[in-house]
Amino acid sequence: MSTEIAVPYLDISEPSFAMHSEAVRNAREQHWFATTNYGFAVLRHEYVSILLKDTRLSQGSGKWPDHNGVHSGLFHDWWTKCLLVLEGDDHHRIRRMLNPAFSFRHIEAYVPRFEKLAAEIVDAIIDNGEFEFVNDFAEPYATRVLCILTGIPESEWPTIARISSSIGLALGITIKEDLPEVESALAELYGYAEALIADRQASPRDDLVTRLVEANRDGDSLSDDELRNALCLLIFGGMDTTRNQLGLGIQTMMRNPDQWELLAKNPELARNAVEEVMRSNPTTTWVTREAVVDFDYEDLHAPAGSTVHFFTQVSGNDPTAYPNPGIDITVERAPHYGFGGGMHHCLGHFVARMDMAIAFRTLSQRMTNIRVNGQDEWMPDSGNTGPVRLPLAFDKR
Amino acid sequence: MHVSVDRAKCDNHGQCTFSAPTVFRLDDKGVLEYDENPDDSLRADVDEAADVCPMQAILVTD
Repeated sequence: MSTEIAVPYLDISEPSFAMHSEAVRNAREQHWFATTNYGFAVLRHEYVSILLKDTRLSQGSGKWPDHNGVHSGLFHDWWTKCLLVLEGDDHHRIRRMLNPAFSFRHIEAYVPRFEKLAAEIVDAIIDNGEFEFVNDFAEPYATRVLCILTGIPESEWPTIARISSSIGLALGITIKEDLPEVESALAELYGYAEALIADRQASPRDDLVTRLVEANRDGDSLSDDELRNALCLLIFGGMDTTRNQLGLGIQTMMRNPDQWELLAKNPELARNAVEEVMRSNPTTTWVTREAVVDFDYEDLHAPAGSTVHFFTQVSGNDPTAYPNPGIDITVERAPHYGFGGGMHHCLGHFVARMDMAIAFRTLSQRMTNIRVNGQDEWMPDSGNTGPVRLPLAFDKR
Repeated sequence: MHVSVDRAKCDNHGQCTFSAPTVFRLDDKGVLEYDENPDDSLRADVDEAADVCPMQAILVTD
């Protein structure tokens, strides 16, 4: 009799596929990984925690443009040199020089400005009793946070938001037909980044771009191209993700109004609230890796070149790691992987953690009884998800 | 200088190994190993490692 364990199969391209579905929960209960129509999917927290950091798996998206017929041009050249897709010594060198500017103590200094921003946006909507969460709060907040960090005038946030969304088209399957829009947006972003770099080289300030310009380790520093690439990645990578995560966060809190009231009374729980939201309802529902070599772990055999997904939403709700997986902003939990992990762990996570904590804290102190107020619209539940449109009503506190 | 890592917080992401590769390394199972008493000449690198740790798990004392 065979003792082989049946490995579940998940059809992740099926339009009705959902991370928080019984099929996925059953698969996680059945086995620690599943096979899918796009490679393997690791489902359990214990295994995500170990294998996400395994250096036999590389960040899988470097070949994305080439896989979609884009072999040259501005976007191709930028993407294939981005920190996000670099590996080995090339990655470590740049990551090491970028890391200190994003450290806790440097980012904490921006807290008063993030607080002022959150208050200003809420002030503008608080007497209306209703707002569209994405357009009226999440997008301006996330984009203006990036303007504050980089020193781009905050009044230019609509341009930055538009540029970021246009570049985002490159991550969709229609990348080839969208390429002219993507490249024109990227060229515009290059213009912003190059101007900032030149300005801080000529007149240094006490800010993030100056710290990147002046980053120097063991006699090495970042070239102008490397600085520009990094700034563009920061703006592109920081905007959509934060906007979407804020929307998912408010969704989670609307489903758990007792937790929202708890947060309003105990603002010091805001950082924990961000962790709970990202654990249970992350925008990055999966993280993708590619096997550099034939990859064997227990009964998973992934030939070199195959794709291994880490289902962070599924692992974040794994009852083995989180015995009471319901939202509780008062408890310390095992770490989640909403920021990925290992050497590619999100560079801007302290920014995201702090700005979202301030957003939820500010909103909870000014609004109660938040409810959906009209037709909401959501991105598909795979890849990077979140609300497209989320009309809300609330009572002023 | 004395280095201690709070193992309850450390999640073995390995960002510290970029800042101070002679003090922090990941073993072949991906688990952090570190030198508890590195030479004082490495202080700037070790402070940087503590600063950039995503879990804020590294404590450096004199």
